[in-house]
Amino acid sequence: MPQLLRNIDQNWRIVDDGDIHWRAEEDWQAGEPLQVGVDSEPDSTWLEASAIAVDFPALTDGRGLSLAVLLRTRLHYTGDLVARGNVHEDIVHFLARSGFNVIELPQGKDLQTALTWVDPHSGYYQPSVANPQTVFASKN
Amino acid sequence: MYQYSEFDRSFVNQRVAHYRDQTQRYLDGKLSDDEFLQLRLRNGLYIQRLAPMLRVAVPYGTLSSKQLRALAAISRDYDRGYGHLSTRQNMQFNWPALEDVPDILQALADVDMHAIQTSGSCIRNVTTDQFAGAAADETIDPRPFCELLRQWSTSHPEFEWLPRKFKIAVTGAAQDRAAIGVHDIGMRIHGNDDHPEDALIDVYAGGGLGRTPVLGALIREKLPAKDLLTYTEALMRVYNRYGRRDNKYKARIKILVRAMTPEGFKAQVDAEWEQIKDSPSTVPATELRRLRDFFRPPAFGQQADANTMLADQRLTHRDFDRWVKHNVTPHRADGYAVVTLSTKSIGVPPGDVSSDQIDAVANWADQYSFSEIRISHEQNFVLPHVPKVALFELWQQATDIGLGSFNMGLLSDMICCPGGDYCSLANAKSLPVAEAIQRRFADYDFQFDLGEIDLNISGCMNACGHHHVGHIGILGVDKKGQEFYQISLGGHAGHSGEAPKLGQIVGPSVARAEVCDVIEKILHVYLARRFDEESFLSCFDRIGIDPFKESVYASAA
Repeated sequence: MPQLLRNIDQNWRIVDDGDIHWRAEEDWQAGEPLQVGVDSEPDSTWLEASAIAVDFPALTDGRGLSLAVLLRTRLHYTGDLVARGNVHEDIVHFLARSGFNVIELPQGKDLQTALTWVDPHSGYYQPSVANPQTVFASKN
Repeated sequence: MYQYSEFDRSFVNQRVAHYRDQTQRYLDGKLSDDEFLQLRLRNGLYIQRLAPMLRVAVPYGTLSSKQLRALAAISRDYDRGYGHLSTRQNMQFNWPALEDVPDILQALADVDMHAIQTSGSCIRNVTTDQFAGAAADETIDPRPFCELLRQWSTSHPEFEWLPRKFKIAVTGAAQDRAAIGVHDIGMRIHGNDDHPEDALIDVYAGGGLGRTPVLGALIREKLPAKDLLTYTEALMRVYNRYGRRDNKYKARIKILVRAMTPEGFKAQVDAEWEQIKDSPSTVPATELRRLRDFFRPPAFGQQADANTMLADQRLTHRDFDRWVKHNVTPHRADGYAVVTLSTKSIGVPPGDVSSDQIDAVANWADQYSFSEIRISHEQNFVLPHVPKVALFELWQQATDIGLGSFNMGLLSDMICCPGGDYCSLANAKSLPVAEAIQRRFADYDFQFDLGEIDLNISGCMNACGHHHVGHIGILGVDKKGQEFYQISLGGHAGHSGEAPKLGQIVGPSVARAEVCDVIEKILHVYLARRFDEESFLSCFDRIGIDPFKESVYASAA
């Protein structure tokens, strides 16, 4: 059973959604869940996926963050966007702010710790996918 | 100076809380060394050869006396009674205990400071002209723009996990004291302080030192100030997505810019920027003016005419005269001067300062400089606004405590990384080389005769000592387990308004014992070949490297 955090109405929760059989781009068809690599170029056909997962090869690889931003803001993808692979409890806030609404932690990682640090600050210095409003008035 | 808002304060405090939890989980065995490494780096903590090293951010090199006193206290309470001024205007502590670091970070947060993103593959502390807001040749104060970038880059959701570290430097003066040409992004701001919203910014990208030194390419001219963040976002996105991650030596943005060509890189950034140009990070004029207001000049009082007094003092005190000549820089306000307090005295590693010295500088800042201090990338303290009438008094006190060396810009005012004595990356020691050179050429009359010479030493090709842009550069290399040193000549970081230039290597590297002899030969070629007042750099440009090469290697052959 995957270890999942899901953003439900702006609240992150530990959920039990069951396994998803992710398909790589080469054997994926519209209507199926699609898993892409962090080096993929976003493609408008992806909008027909039932869900999109981005596979993080390492906790230090930030390409998946830019990819999520592009999916949300350039393709205007509104479905489930799942971060999986080498995802770490202490980087979940970057994932959450870049547009992922589901985070799958690898086995051995602690969901409760991830939930504690999914939003470590009461405010941020930049607009983000999660909170696109300008920040200039709120931080002064 | 910038003053933290409640927002800033709670942000930094929340960051300390998160790091405290991370440290505890590491100590409890719940985080592996590799996982914790990435987290601690982004909070300034390295594990060095002998002990951890904590790098504290000094945003664009500006500090208040209160903050400086807090650093002195940290150096006493958690270190061995000293700190180190880095070439990126930060302060480093070499001996903190890993488990004490959350408390140190809290002590910093209590005076509105932090160590966020001072290491790791993320956007680092933005650096600038150490004389910002005081220099006579400045047209616009770069610090409001630096603060804007500091805030924007702090915990950016998208750009905390880049291919490699990322350094931004900004200048607003005729002479580029921030070395913008050798940074990942360099920015030159045109405009004036009255209307920061009308400022225009030239953006350079892909500069850097390290093993492949490159000068940045101009990729955007006259960027409107309001677009500073959206344009930077576009640039960072291109780098984050396409910068190499397979080889850390090819991961800096300079390699990407070279691979794409500057024109190709610019086209990519422009295409990305088109999409986000007017997004919510567009900076309103009110925000630029608000930040500008923090850096308004202090209330410079009418100062008594100090020129006669100063002339008398200089006549009667030869060393004071030398100090004024070298370490005092013209100020834009009548009756004031900018003072550089040199950390470079013989037997002290360049940039090292004791707790007592740090406290003394804080006291002088209160007494003479509107409580403000700067750290320069040459690893010296700067008091930016000192009344000329107080110069003599300040010099006497500085001399008493070992901060009165009158060597700014001279051979002994060298830039030097911590090298193999501390740093686990280094191939060779740098501090003993610096000390040997200082001892060999200790005669100040000889140094004055030489005039301005930047001598920069790095213990490895990561180039923290900026050896490529030294008039004389020394690079430590490892040859089959032996420490050797490669000498380069003619580099500079943007001298007298010129574009920066990388030094040329003289020839095969030499053993440590020979370094001083080689430097001496080089200096003698210069002295023999120069015209009248010709500087080392101009002489080198005129005669080229061959005469130096012949002298250095003739007798060795």
